[in-house]
Amino acid sequence: MSKDQEKLIEDLVDKGLAGDMEPINAIEDRILRGKVKSALVKAKRAAKAQEKIENKDTKVEVLNNPQKTESTNAKISDMINKKFPGSLENEGNDKFIQLKPEHWFEISKWLRSEPSLFFDSLQCQTGVDIGDNDLEARYNFHSMKHGHYIEVRIAVPRNKAVIPSVEQIWRVADWFERETYDMLGIEFSGHRDLRRILLPDDWEGWPLRKDYQVQETYHGIVVPKMKEGWE
Amino acid sequence: MGIIHGEEMVLNIGPQHPATHGVLRLQVRTDGEVVSQITPYLGYLHRCFEKHCENVTYEQVIPFTDRCDYLASMTNNFGYVVAMEDLMEIKVNDRVEHIRVIMAELQRIASHLLGLGAFGLDIGAFTPFLHMLRDRERILDIFEMTCGARLLYNYMWVGGVSHDLPVGFVESTYRFLDYFEPKIDEFVNLLVHNKIFVERTADIGVMPPEVAINYGVGGPNLRASGLKWDLRRDDTYSIYNKFEFDIPVGEGGKGTVGDCWDRFYVRVLEMKESIKIVRQALASLPKDGDVHQSLPKKIRPPKGSIYSRTESPRGDLGYYIESDGTNIPYRLKMRSPAFTALSVIDEIAAGWLLSDVLAILGSLDIVLGEIDR
Repeated sequence: MSKDQEKLIEDLVDKGLAGDMEPINAIEDRILRGKVKSALVKAKRAAKAQEKIENKDTKVEVLNNPQKTESTNAKISDMINKKFPGSLENEGNDKFIQLKPEHWFEISKWLRSEPSLFFDSLQCQTGVDIGDNDLEARYNFHSMKHGHYIEVRIAVPRNKAVIPSVEQIWRVADWFERETYDMLGIEFSGHRDLRRILLPDDWEGWPLRKDYQVQETYHGIVVPKMKEGWE
Repeated sequence: MGIIHGEEMVLNIGPQHPATHGVLRLQVRTDGEVVSQITPYLGYLHRCFEKHCENVTYEQVIPFTDRCDYLASMTNNFGYVVAMEDLMEIKVNDRVEHIRVIMAELQRIASHLLGLGAFGLDIGAFTPFLHMLRDRERILDIFEMTCGARLLYNYMWVGGVSHDLPVGFVESTYRFLDYFEPKIDEFVNLLVHNKIFVERTADIGVMPPEVAINYGVGGPNLRASGLKWDLRRDDTYSIYNKFEFDIPVGEGGKGTVGDCWDRFYVRVLEMKESIKIVRQALASLPKDGDVHQSLPKKIRPPKGSIYSRTESPRGDLGYYIESDGTNIPYRLKMRSPAFTALSVIDEIAAGWLLSDVLAILGSLDIVLGEIDR
């Protein structure tokens, strides 16, 4: 692309961002018009992304040496207890960190941004129906820089299952949380697009809860009952 | 949205469309040829994998994992048995480990062959697809010889594998490797440096490493973004630490690091690395050892949970297993790599032309069976 063209595109994108689409639509050359429009879409998205994702500045460091990964649940559980007193549900142990839902968003922001922790990768997010009227959301974090991992568990009552969403911190949580919502009915407050993902929008009930009853018909189609045992 | 008023159009690609690699619907907002937003709608292939798992025993889960990623069933089995053996603290003998690694790496080659061929097909290169399917067929023949199945193997069991290697396996695998190694250079000449192909893929759909990690993208897609990260080396499992292999990363050979071309080329290089691993494993394969030696009589893992991940051809394949001490899983979640790879499409494909979106989708190498489970 020539210098003139680049300058022209820049000017037109600035105009487009200001809301003036006339000069763009008036371009005769179709290829140039396509280029301008695609540059405009990208500029708009870049502006949006900067508003949304807070931790853009944390750069990824490329790993070149293999390292042994280690579990640091107990250590980080203590750190959370110091930083956010009262947020632990019970004492830290080797296997997982049990948290209360209230401060989850702040804690997760801290887990992501604190340089000595730097959990840049949310490996897995899921939910479990643990009985006793409780549902539990589980998060497996891993730090690619430090090579340590933790598991966080947050239990909420079945009839009021609300947990703050971390979708804006780790974008991968967007679909993970939608799936957990779809399957277990845990609501993630603050999620910008909380819809069912695998099941149809008008499906009734939460299939992976242990007390799930299959609906009898769906749009006039009889839903087959799950059989007990083997035939 | 209303980015460009009066000319925007909503277009559905799929659910039945050859370029979506299965039943997937992409709702695309376009203005002319330029795409401003992509919303994927999934679930057309949802077969209730996780619900099924809560109703069958641990052994019976393995055939279901086959059917999730039906192009890489061996590695799906592998991930599950690694997780189960971690949970039950079973140690399998060296022969089993070697057989598993050989199978997994052959499967990786087979899966990459299909992925690369289908990618070429997506952007109009028909011939390479046939070449690659022809060679993939030879790998399927080796699998068929080993366990009787061509696609859905149920081969790796908790504590072993279902059959020992048949007579003549080592020779025919060597024969395949000798045949296949020069073929890779043929592919490179056929497609990788092809002018039309480069024009369609270089500089298109660039995925920076920060975006890839944030969206949980793993495997070849992550490495194409320039990050040297491979679970086989960095969070090693089985006996991968015994073998010497390189980790190819995207270097932006034809354009920018992390573009579609890089994602393609990394897979080509990975096939070479897999060949290296298979050769080493065949050379050091122990002669004796019962493949059923460590099979538990009953699979009843102790109470507890585990999250274990392995490197499947599509990325980090994770299994989260919660056990309550019975022979039936209390909860089993599969963290599928294609699921997270698809979620990034809106981020990297918006702003490109519609034809580029299909190239980007092809370069991510998704399998819908694994996304919808």
